Amino acid sequence: MSALHFDTLVWHWPIAIYLFLAGVSAGAMFFAVLLKHFVLKQNAYQSGFIRAACIVAPVAVMAGLGILVADLTKPLDFWKILVFYNPKSVMSMGVLILLIYQVFMFMWIGLIFRKPVDAWCESRFPIVLKLTALLARFEATITGLLVILSLALGAYTGFLLSALPGYPMLKNPVLPLLFLASGLSSGAASSLLGGVLMNGKPNDKEVHFIHKVEIPLILVEIVLIFTFFMGLVLTGGQSKMAAFNALGYGFWGWIFWVGIIGLGLSGPLAMNLFMTTTSKRKWAYVAGTACLSLIGVLLLRNFILYTGQMTIA
Amino acid sequence: MENSKRRFLKGTCALFAGATGASLLATVNASEGAKAESDIKYAMIHDETKCIGCRACEVACRETNQVPEGVSRVRIEQTGPFGEYPNEYYHFSRVSCQHCEDAPCVNVCPTGAAFIEKETGIVSVNAWKCVGCQYCIAACPYKIRFINPVTHAADKCDFCRETNLAQGKQPACVEACPTKALVFGNLKDPTSELVQVLRANPTQRAKVALGTRPKLFRILAKSGEVIL
Repeated sequence: MSALHFDTLVWHWPIAIYLFLAGVSAGAMFFAVLLKHFVLKQNAYQSGFIRAACIVAPVAVMAGLGILVADLTKPLDFWKILVFYNPKSVMSMGVLILLIYQVFMFMWIGLIFRKPVDAWCESRFPIVLKLTALLARFEATITGLLVILSLALGAYTGFLLSALPGYPMLKNPVLPLLFLASGLSSGAASSLLGGVLMNGKPNDKEVHFIHKVEIPLILVEIVLIFTFFMGLVLTGGQSKMAAFNALGYGFWGWIFWVGIIGLGLSGPLAMNLFMTTTSKRKWAYVAGTACLSLIGVLLLRNFILYTGQMTIA
Repeated sequence: MENSKRRFLKGTCALFAGATGASLLATVNASEGAKAESDIKYAMIHDETKCIGCRACEVACRETNQVPEGVSRVRIEQTGPFGEYPNEYYHFSRVSCQHCEDAPCVNVCPTGAAFIEKETGIVSVNAWKCVGCQYCIAACPYKIRFINPVTHAADKCDFCRETNLAQGKQPACVEACPTKALVFGNLKDPTSELVQVLRANPTQRAKVALGTRPKLFRILAKSGEVIL
C-alpha cells in the first residue's frame, strides 16, 4: 500500500489544504478580536498584526472555498450547495456557517478600519459614512458573533471528518477539538508572520500577547493528540488498528513524529519557553516559530486525512 | 463595557430565537410527513450457498442500468480456493448497496441528492442535485459508491428503481440469477418470499455494529475462510 494512493482513499490533499485554510482564517479572526480587545483597544487598525489578520482571514477562507469548489466532480454546479440544504449534513451546516462567518468577518474588518475608511469616503462617497455608523451601533453584537462563528468554523473542520462512520480513526469525538485548537494556533501564527512581514515590530506588545496564549494552546494540542490516539487504542478493534497503522513506521509515521510532534509542536513550544515573555524578540525568531507552527498544522491536516482513510471499519 | 455586553446578549438572543423558531417549524413539517408511513420496504437476500459466481448479475445490471465500463453497481467478490483437491471450492459474496435504514451517505449529503425514497425505503441518488463532493463515498462504510464517469454524479445500486422496478419487474440481477440465489421483496409483506426465506434461515448483515441497519441480508455459505 502506497502512502499517498490506496483503495480506500476518497478525499485527497486539496481537502486537507481547505481544512487548513478554513482553520487559519478562523484563528486569525479570533486572535484579531482578542488583540483589539485586550491589547490595542482604539486605533487597532494601525497595528501590522491586525492588518495581517484582516488580510489573511478573507484570503484564506476564499482560497479554501475555491479549492473546495475546484475539487468537486461538477465544479459549475457548486451553487446547488448554496440553494439546497440538508440539516443533518455537517457539510451543509458548515457551508451555512462559512457564509454567515464571512458576512460578520467583513463587517468587523469594516469596523476596525472605520477611521481611515470614513476619512477617505467623507468627500467622495458620503453614504458610506452612514453605513459604518450603522455598523458601529452593533459593534458589540458583531464582535461577539464573530468570535462564536470563528470557533464554530474551526470546530466544523473537525466535525466534517468525524461524521464519517466508515473510518474508525476519523469517527472520533476528540477530532473537532483538536482541529479547533490547531486551527487557532495556525491563525495566530499567520497573523504573526504577516505582521512582521508588514509594519509590525517583532518586539511589539501584540507579539508578547500572542506568544503568551500560544504556550497553553500548544500544550492543549499535545494533550488532545494524546487523548485522540489513547481513545482509539482503548476502543480496540479496527480503531486500535487504525491508530497503529497511522503511528507506526513508514511515511506517515515520520510525518507525525518528526513533522508534527517535532517541528510543529515541540519546536515552537521550546522556543517560547526559552524566550521568556519579557525578553526582546528578533524578526527571525518570530517569523521562524510562526513558520514552524504553520507547517506543523498543515502536516497535521494531511496526516489525519490520509491515515484516517487507511483503515476502514 | 456593561452596555456593549448587554447589546451583544440582546443581539444574540434575537438571532437564536429566530433560528429556533425556524427549526421548530421545520421539525413540525417533517413529523407531519412521517405520519403517513408506506407499507412497502424493499430488501434483498443473497444466498451464498446457492451462488456459483457466474457473474450474470453483474452483466445484467450493467446492461439494464447503463452502467459505464470501469465502475459497477454490483460485484461478486470471490475468495478461495478452500479445501483440498478434488473437493476444492470458492466463496462468493455480493458487494453492493445495503440500503441502510439509517444511511450515512444520506445523512452527510449536503444537497439532499442522496435520499431514501419514502414509499419504498430504497436509498437512491438524484444525479442532478449531486455536485460531486464525494462526501457520501467517504461516508459509506461498505465502500460501494462511485462517481459515474458519464454523469459525474455519485452512483450505486438502487434496486433498479428507475428501470426494472418502474416497469413492474424484479431487479435485473434477481431476474438474471440462474440458481435463484437472490431474493428480492417487501419486508412488510409477511406472505412475500423474502419474509418466508428470512424466517426459515439464519441470515447476516454486514457491519451492523455501526448502527446503519442495512437491508441486504446474506445466507452465509457454511464453508469458507475462518476470520478472527
